[in-house]
Amino acid sequence: MTSKSVGGGQKILVVDDEHMSDLMRSVLRRLETDGFRPIVVAPEGPHLTGDDYETQALFSMETERPSAVLLDVRFGEYDSDRFKGLSILKKIVDRDSSMPVLMFTQYTQGPYRDTAVNASLSVSASVDFIDKLASPEEVVLRLRRLIGSAPETIKIGSLFEIDAANAAVYVIENGRRDLIREIQGMKLEILSELASAMYRSEGELVPFSRLERFSDGEDSRASLRVRIRELKVSLGRAVSREFGANELIINVRNRGYRLVNPGD
Amino acid sequence: MNDQSLKILKLIGLAIAGIGLLLILLSPFIGESLTPGSLWWIEPVAYIGSGVFVLGSVVAFIGFQVIARRTRALTGDRTRTWSQVTQDYFDTFAHDMGRPLRRILGKQREARALLNETGEVTANMVAELLDEIENQAPNFRLMIENVRVLVDLEDDTAAAAVEPVDAAAIVRNVSDRYTPIARERGLELVWWCEPSEFGFIYGDGSALDHVITNLVDNAAKFARGHVEIRLTRTDSEFLVRVWDDGSGIAESHLAHVFDRGWTPELSARSEKQSSGLGLFIASSLTERCGGQLMVESQAANGDEVDDHSTIFTLSLPLDNRPVER
Repeated sequence: MTSKSVGGGQKILVVDDEHMSDLMRSVLRRLETDGFRPIVVAPEGPHLTGDDYETQALFSMETERPSAVLLDVRFGEYDSDRFKGLSILKKIVDRDSSMPVLMFTQYTQGPYRDTAVNASLSVSASVDFIDKLASPEEVVLRLRRLIGSAPETIKIGSLFEIDAANAAVYVIENGRRDLIREIQGMKLEILSELASAMYRSEGELVPFSRLERFSDGEDSRASLRVRIRELKVSLGRAVSREFGANELIINVRNRGYRLVNPGD
Repeated sequence: MNDQSLKILKLIGLAIAGIGLLLILLSPFIGESLTPGSLWWIEPVAYIGSGVFVLGSVVAFIGFQVIARRTRALTGDRTRTWSQVTQDYFDTFAHDMGRPLRRILGKQREARALLNETGEVTANMVAELLDEIENQAPNFRLMIENVRVLVDLEDDTAAAAVEPVDAAAIVRNVSDRYTPIARERGLELVWWCEPSEFGFIYGDGSALDHVITNLVDNAAKFARGHVEIRLTRTDSEFLVRVWDDGSGIAESHLAHVFDRGWTPELSARSEKQSSGLGLFIASSLTERCGGQLMVESQAANGDEVDDHSTIFTLSLPLDNRPVER
């Protein structure tokens, strides 16, 4: 899912004095490919301290109105700036208590993190922490979840799009969206459930217990199985394909179902 | 008796012994000054001095013994000195660091040799090297964390944090971290929680993250095709079950899985190497958080069709806040 729709052009304010490092550049690049607009806070001057970043970050908050902030805990070489990120966090949250902030910590555990957690718990903000060694994919996933609810439309690979608000499933062909009429009601609910799990986290499977409320009859497991089969047939017909047992919607070892990217 | 009064007892004992020693040493002068010109008093003073010395020594010895026993009781049967402990850590650490580094260097040297020979490296070789680095990075990352946690664990006075924690989010984060690695190794990694709206627990979030990371890392090392993480709850505790379909652990080895330095090379489980530190840390951290870590395994027995698997089950209290009195 590297389509532009993921980030939707949302602005991400990046506050890190090491924003020129290779590691950060890979994160910035990833944000861009996923459709976010990273805005890097880069104050100018000869001897920059954490204060310079703080001033500039708060200024950018006002002028750029970002959807979220990526913030480092540690700034510069000075000992006084060891937890500068936490003071910046506090000021950000003071101004906008709903601002999602993802904090970079050198180590996500230990006293360092405890200090960070304590500082963040004191404010009722959506704050999360991530290890600086985390992969860019991880950073984007975390950020996406922090920003909040699943978007109104979720894409399944490049083939389908689910529009939960309008209760509709579309097939995408040459940039055109065509409604798949057959998928409605419970089948649509099942598909939406599977799609939002996939959107939240690739490895998340939806257990039978959660899906069985969308089926009825004596043997709810069996009727669920029938619905899933019908779903696959309907989706397959829309793209003139036949989805096998290990494609699109798979039964994972009799635990539940999982939606997987169908590929082009 | 508390630690403070034990320390005072120890000091008093030492002081009394010191006075006794002083009396013995100074007996000629004290005897001389008590009865000038006669040596009669020297001997009794020396005897009294020895008595006082013995008494003081006994008191000090008791003080030392009680403190030592109490420390042992607090730290379990760890009687090793700090230098032995650190030596153990660094041995294991060096061993663990060496393996991924060797793999990366191996690929790098191959590429370098080709570069020296022909003046260019094939795209394939570069890709292999990059894959290897990417593959090994999580190992390094986990090792750094493990060593930090180990040092932390030596501090017996430190307690587990208690904060509201979104357990499902932690499992999801770990799954996100390992999904690319699993895919690279041709494994399917899935997770789910029941009930789906899991809610908050009160406990140590970073410890929980670390324990689950070690369990998943371990499972991803041994699995043949599948790793499953399941989060469930009962009335008083929540359970994280990490399942893999590796060749299993022989029954005779099960008891040693959580020992420090136990490596699967010692078992029939797999020829792949593992740290021998991760599970030890996981169980120590779990204990500190007031929980339990259990292992069950069906070892492969050589049949063609085996239903072999290993399950680690972590159980922790839903609410670890101290009870208000």
